[in-house]
Amino acid sequence: MMSLLKVKNVKKIYSTRFGGQKVEALKNVSLEVEKGEYVAIMGESGSGKTTLLNILAALDKPTSGEILLNGKNIVNIGDKEISAFRRDHLGFVFQDFNLLDTFSLKDNIFLPLVLSKTNNKEMEKRIIPIANDLGISDLLEKYPYEVSGGQKQRCAVARALITKPELILADEPTGALDSKSTNDLLTLFNTINENGQTIIMVTHSTLAASHAGRVLFIKDGEVFHQIYKGTKTNEEMYQSISDTLTLLATGGVRNE
Amino acid sequence: MNKLFYQKLAFTNIKKNSKTYIPFLLTCIITIALFYDICSLAGNSGLDSMPGAGEMRMMLILGTYVVGFFAIIFLFYTNSFLMKRRKKEFGLFNILGMEKRHVSLIIAFETLITALISVSLGFLIGISLDKLLFMAISKMFDTNITLGFYISSSAIKSSLILFGLIFLFMYLNSIRQIKLANPIELLHSTEYGEKEPKSKWIMTILGIVCLSIGYYISLTTKNPILAMMLFFGAVILVIIGTYLLFTAGSVTLLKALKKNKKYFYKPNHFISVSGMIYRMKQNAAGLANICILSTMVLVMISTTFSLWIGMEDLTTQRYPREIVAYIDANEKDIQTMRDVSKQLLKDKNLEKENILDYRYVEFAGYQEEQSILTDRENIYANMTGAICTVMVTDLDDYNQSMHTNYTLNDNEILLYGKRKEFGYDEFEVFDYKFKVKEQVDEFMGNGNAAANVSSGYFIVVKDETIVNDIYESQKEVYGEHSSNLYDYYGFDIDASKSEIEEYYDSYTKALEDAGIEGYDVECKTVSYAGFMALYGGFLFIGIFLSVLFIMAAILIIYYKQITEGYEDKERFEIMQKVGMDHKLVKKSINSQVLTVFFLPLVTAVIHLAFAFPIISELLRMLMLSNTQLYIYCTLGCIGVFTLVYILIYSVTAKSYYSIVKRN
Repeated sequence: MMSLLKVKNVKKIYSTRFGGQKVEALKNVSLEVEKGEYVAIMGESGSGKTTLLNILAALDKPTSGEILLNGKNIVNIGDKEISAFRRDHLGFVFQDFNLLDTFSLKDNIFLPLVLSKTNNKEMEKRIIPIANDLGISDLLEKYPYEVSGGQKQRCAVARALITKPELILADEPTGALDSKSTNDLLTLFNTINENGQTIIMVTHSTLAASHAGRVLFIKDGEVFHQIYKGTKTNEEMYQSISDTLTLLATGGVRNE
Repeated sequence: MNKLFYQKLAFTNIKKNSKTYIPFLLTCIITIALFYDICSLAGNSGLDSMPGAGEMRMMLILGTYVVGFFAIIFLFYTNSFLMKRRKKEFGLFNILGMEKRHVSLIIAFETLITALISVSLGFLIGISLDKLLFMAISKMFDTNITLGFYISSSAIKSSLILFGLIFLFMYLNSIRQIKLANPIELLHSTEYGEKEPKSKWIMTILGIVCLSIGYYISLTTKNPILAMMLFFGAVILVIIGTYLLFTAGSVTLLKALKKNKKYFYKPNHFISVSGMIYRMKQNAAGLANICILSTMVLVMISTTFSLWIGMEDLTTQRYPREIVAYIDANEKDIQTMRDVSKQLLKDKNLEKENILDYRYVEFAGYQEEQSILTDRENIYANMTGAICTVMVTDLDDYNQSMHTNYTLNDNEILLYGKRKEFGYDEFEVFDYKFKVKEQVDEFMGNGNAAANVSSGYFIVVKDETIVNDIYESQKEVYGEHSSNLYDYYGFDIDASKSEIEEYYDSYTKALEDAGIEGYDVECKTVSYAGFMALYGGFLFIGIFLSVLFIMAAILIIYYKQITEGYEDKERFEIMQKVGMDHKLVKKSINSQVLTVFFLPLVTAVIHLAFAFPIISELLRMLMLSNTQLYIYCTLGCIGVFTLVYILIYSVTAKSYYSIVKRN
C-alpha cells in the first residue's frame, strides 16, 4: 500500500536576516504516514515539531528534502497554487482556534469552501452532518465570542473537515482547552479517525498523544523514536509515552 | 496612601496606552486648533472692512457651528472606542481591590491630563497655524487683503467652553460605562466589542428622507433670495442625512447584502462585506465627518475661486462703461452733466467712446402669466415667487445706444428677458396691453440691473410719453417706494488707469460744483480695486479653511487606517492559514481600504453635484452669473482635491499594507 504522506530527508535551517547565525531546526527528518492513520508528534519546545508541521502544511518551505502527498511533491508547488492546494487537500486545527470574530460560526466553517467557490447549496448540504456529529448544530448562527473554548475548537474542527481533506493537521489542539473539553475533543478525533480520516497532531500533552495510533518523538531536529499503539488501551499507551519522555529527558540511548 | 497615587496612576496609564492615546490626543489637538482658527476668523475685525462682511460672517459662524458639531461627535465617539478597549484594565483594578469611585478618580485625572495637553497644544498650534497661513496666503495674493492676524480672546473663550464641556461629558460617559458594569463584565468586555451591529431601518429611512429634502431644495430653488434663505436649512439636512446614512444606512445595506446568499458566498464578497460591516460600525462617524469636510472644502474653494476668476467678467457686467452716471431725468441736469464731462475731457485731452445715454424707469412687479401685477398685497404675499423687475426705455434711446433701427407701433414693444424667459406674445402692465414684436438678444448695459438679484424684463416702448406714463403709474401705486425716472449716461475713455482715476476725481468734483442733485457716478477702474479686495478676501478665507479642513481629514483617515491595520493583521493571517492566497488577500484589502477611503470623496462629489443649482443661484447674488465658469472651477477643484486625496491614500495604504502583510 502506498503511503499518503512521505517525508524524505527534510532539513530546515533558519538563518538570521544578515546570514550571520544559522539555526538548524530540522536536521534530517524522514517519515511515512499511511492513509487512515492517526499520528501524534511529540517533543519538547524547540525540538522542531512546529517547524515540521508548518512544512507539512506548506506554510513554510524546507531547506532540502521532499514531501510527497499522494505522490505529489508539495515542495515544488508554486506560490499561486499553494493556497488552493492547502484548501483542497489539508485541514487545519490550531491551538488558538483561529476563528474570525467577524463571522458567525457557520460562516467560519464555510470560509474554505467559499474560497474555493463552492455553491451555496452544496455548502449547506455538507455542513449538516458535520455539525450534527460535532454537536454544534444549535450554535451555527452564533459568533465566536458567544461560545466557549471547546465549542470554538469543535467549530474549527468542522471547518477543517468540511473540505473533505486527505489530511488533517492539528497543532496543539487541546492546548487552550479545559480537561473536559480536551477529553471531548480527543474522543472526537478518534471518531473522525475511525471514519477513515488521516490525522497528524503535534502536541506535548501525553494525554492527547495517548489517543493516537502512533506517536513520533522528535528531538534536536530528528525523529528520535516512535511507539505504535497496537492493541494497547489509552492508559497503557499513556504509560509508555511517559516512559519514553522520561528517557528522552534524561538523555537515554537511542532505541530504534 | 500616597496623595499623588491616583494622579501618578493616571499618568502611567496614559503612557502605557500611548499607542492608542497618542492618536487620540492628536485628534483632540487638531480639532481644537481647527475650532479656534475658524472662531478667530469669524471674529476677525478685518472682516468688517470687507464689503459683504455680513454674509461672510454668517457663513463663518455657521462654519464654527459645523466644526463644533464635528468636534462633539468625533471626539466623543473616539473616546468611547478608547474606553471600550480599556474596560478590561478597569475591571482588573476593580478586582484588585479598587472601588469604583477610585477608578472614577483615575479616569477623572486621565481626562484632565488629556484635556490640559490637548487644549494647550491645540491653542499653540491653532495660533501658529493662523499666523502661518495668514503669512503664506498674503504672500500668494499680493493684494491688499484687509484681514489681519491677531490672537482672539473670544475664540479662546468659546473653544475653552466647548471643549471643556466635551471633555466633561466624555468623562461622565466613561464613568457611566464603568458604573453600570460588574468587574467580570469589564474583564470580558473587549470580547463583546466585536458584536455585529444591527440593521437600523428607521435611521436609514430618516437619513434618506433628510438627504432627499436637502437635495430637493437645492434642485428646485430657482431664485437667489429664496436660495439664500433655504441654503443653510438644506446644508443642515444634508449633514444630518450624511451622518445617518453613513452610520445606519451603510450597516443596513451591508446586512441586506449579507442576507443575499448568492451574492454573499463569493470569495471576495464574503470577506469584504463582513469586514466592511465592522469597519463601518467603527468608522462611520469618522467617514461622515470626512465626507462633510470634503464637501465644504470643495464648495468653498470652487465658489471663491470662480468668484476670483470671474471678477473681470463681473465688473464688465456691473460697469458696462468706464464712467457711468445715474441721474434723475430732468433735461437741464442731464445736459449739465453731458457738458461737464465733455469740457473735462477736452481739458485733459481725452476722447470718449461708446456713449450710452438713455432714460429709463425701473420698478418691481409680480408676474402672473403675461401680466405684471403691481398691487402691493400681492407682492408681499409672494415675496419669493415670481417677483421680477421691469425696466422701461424708449425706442429712440435703444436704437441709438445699440446702433439698431427697429420700428414699433404704438402698442408694440421689444423685450429682453434678464435671467428669465418670457413665453407669451402679449405683455400687460398697468393699463397697457403690449404686443411683443420681438424678443431681442441684447440690451443696454445697466450696472444697477446687473447688481439686482431678481430676474426681470427690459422692454422698449415706442416713445418717451409711454415711458413717462408708466413712470407716473408706478408712482401712483408704490407711493414713497416708487422709483425715479433716471437717465443713464456712460462712456469709455481710452486712457491709462491713472488718467482715468484722475478724470473720475475731477469729474465728481466738477459735478458737485455744478450744483446738480440726485446723481450717482461710478468708475470701473476704481471699483475694480474694491472688487479685488472683496473677492481676494473671499478666496483667502476659502483657502484658509480648505487647508485646515484637508489637514483634519488627512489626520482622521490616517489614524483610522493605521489603528485598523493592527486588527486586520490577525484576521488576514487566519484567512491565509485556512487557504486564502496572497492575491485574494491583496484584492480584499484593496477593495475595503478603497471603499473606506473613497466613499467620503464620492459622496462629497455627489453632494456637490446636487448643491450645484442652489450654489449657482447664490453666486448670482454675488453677481456671478457665468455658470460655465463655475462648472469649470468646480471640476478643477474636484480634480486637485482628488489628487491630494489619492496622494494621502497611497501613503496610508502603504503603511497599512506593511502592517497587515504576513511575514
